[in-house]
Amino acid sequence: MTATKLLIEPLIGLRIRNPYGVYHPGEVLECEYQIDAVEPNQIQALETSVLWYTEGKGEEDLGVHFFERVRPSDTVDGDLRQLHLFRTRLPPTPLSYSGAILTIRWCVRVRLYWGRGKETSADRVFQLAPSPK
Amino acid sequence: MARLLRVWEKKRGKRRTGSKLVGTVGEILFFAALFAAGAVALAALLTSEVFKPGFGFWVMVLVVSSFMLLGSGGVLLTLFHAGASPERRSALVKRAAQIDLRADAAAARPSLPNMPSDTNFINSPGVKLRYRLPVSQSSSWRLVLAGVFCLIWNISAALLVAVAANSFRAQRPEWFLTIFAIPFVMIGGWSVYDFVRQWLLFAGTGPTTLEISNHPLRPGRTYTVALSQAGRIGFQSLAVHLVCEESATYRQGTDIRTEQRRRFDRQLCRRTQIRIDPGRPFEYEFPLHMPEDAMHSFQSEHNAVNWMLVVHGQAEAWPPFERCFPLLVYPQDDGNQTAD
Repeated sequence: MTATKLLIEPLIGLRIRNPYGVYHPGEVLECEYQIDAVEPNQIQALETSVLWYTEGKGEEDLGVHFFERVRPSDTVDGDLRQLHLFRTRLPPTPLSYSGAILTIRWCVRVRLYWGRGKETSADRVFQLAPSPK
Repeated sequence: MARLLRVWEKKRGKRRTGSKLVGTVGEILFFAALFAAGAVALAALLTSEVFKPGFGFWVMVLVVSSFMLLGSGGVLLTLFHAGASPERRSALVKRAAQIDLRADAAAARPSLPNMPSDTNFINSPGVKLRYRLPVSQSSSWRLVLAGVFCLIWNISAALLVAVAANSFRAQRPEWFLTIFAIPFVMIGGWSVYDFVRQWLLFAGTGPTTLEISNHPLRPGRTYTVALSQAGRIGFQSLAVHLVCEESATYRQGTDIRTEQRRRFDRQLCRRTQIRIDPGRPFEYEFPLHMPEDAMHSFQSEHNAVNWMLVVHGQAEAWPPFERCFPLLVYPQDDGNQTAD
């Protein structure tokens, strides 16, 4: 008879403010996120990034376009669970790509550091497509 | 208990069965032990009276110091990796690169993220058109490499054969050496064949040059390309292809491998039965239309999307050859239209 300790991970609600999830170079990406199911004093830090990464045969590469790290001490009330909104203007390259042995994807990633050295992250993939003529 | 003392860990995609913290602590302990071993050995070496200062002494100091260097470097690198997410590390690297760029911002051309530098593409003016394209691998370099390899390998093979022949002459045949020398001699023969082939290609076909009306290229636009082929032989065919190739570098065990896959290959022109006179190269102009949906050139640490013009030549009674001329393709809209 073994006792199972249930571990409830914090929830990260992440939404890109674009119904199609398709952007063009130079457009502004707006995103909002909120943390739930965790006590405020358990949150160590919160990282938000907009990045591209590769998938496929080769080793994974990633490049960060936007990065922000906040700690409870950076806010007035020390609570990082409230709704956050950020926006960033997207770069011209690299565009999203799906090839034979290489895929380039863009995503918004929120990484939460909580408890004693634990971390939870959530991704929302979007497309950076060429500008229409 | 079995979970705690697991010998093998599994890795499925990005998930691992083992604890990340235990792995990090283990890595730090390993490098710290390496550093400690180096420090103890160095202290023992310096205080010992067995080793007198001389060549051997300094070699030992160097070897032992390298242990300390590897150990301390490993600890620092592991701490850096453990203390920061991949995104944070990437952001720090990007910020550091921007500090570097700011120093010579006045001289730098506007560049796009993860786009290969355009310096080598636009620093050579053409005779007929605006730019002369660089060739990715010069045939003269290939010839020099083949020559050096052929020379070193065949000298080694000749020495082996001489030793083996002497053993037979002295009535004490070295069978193991003789059997070992056979594949050595065969590779030597192949290297001579390769060298002669490269020499024939270099001497007979002459240089190929390509010039282009504008660079970097953009999807949906049309450019003019001028081909010039020198030499002293006749060609059965000479063709130019527009090629897009994906390149991926990955680790397999302890090897680092690179795989290339052609994603797009379109023949732009093909001429047959060409006769080239010495001193009067064959010249031909043709249009190059970039596909509307062409992916831009891309370069990251392990992956790349490369565009190039590939010239295929088939000469009469000569080995076929292929020469690559890399191209730089910008996206349709880069915000400020730097190229045009």
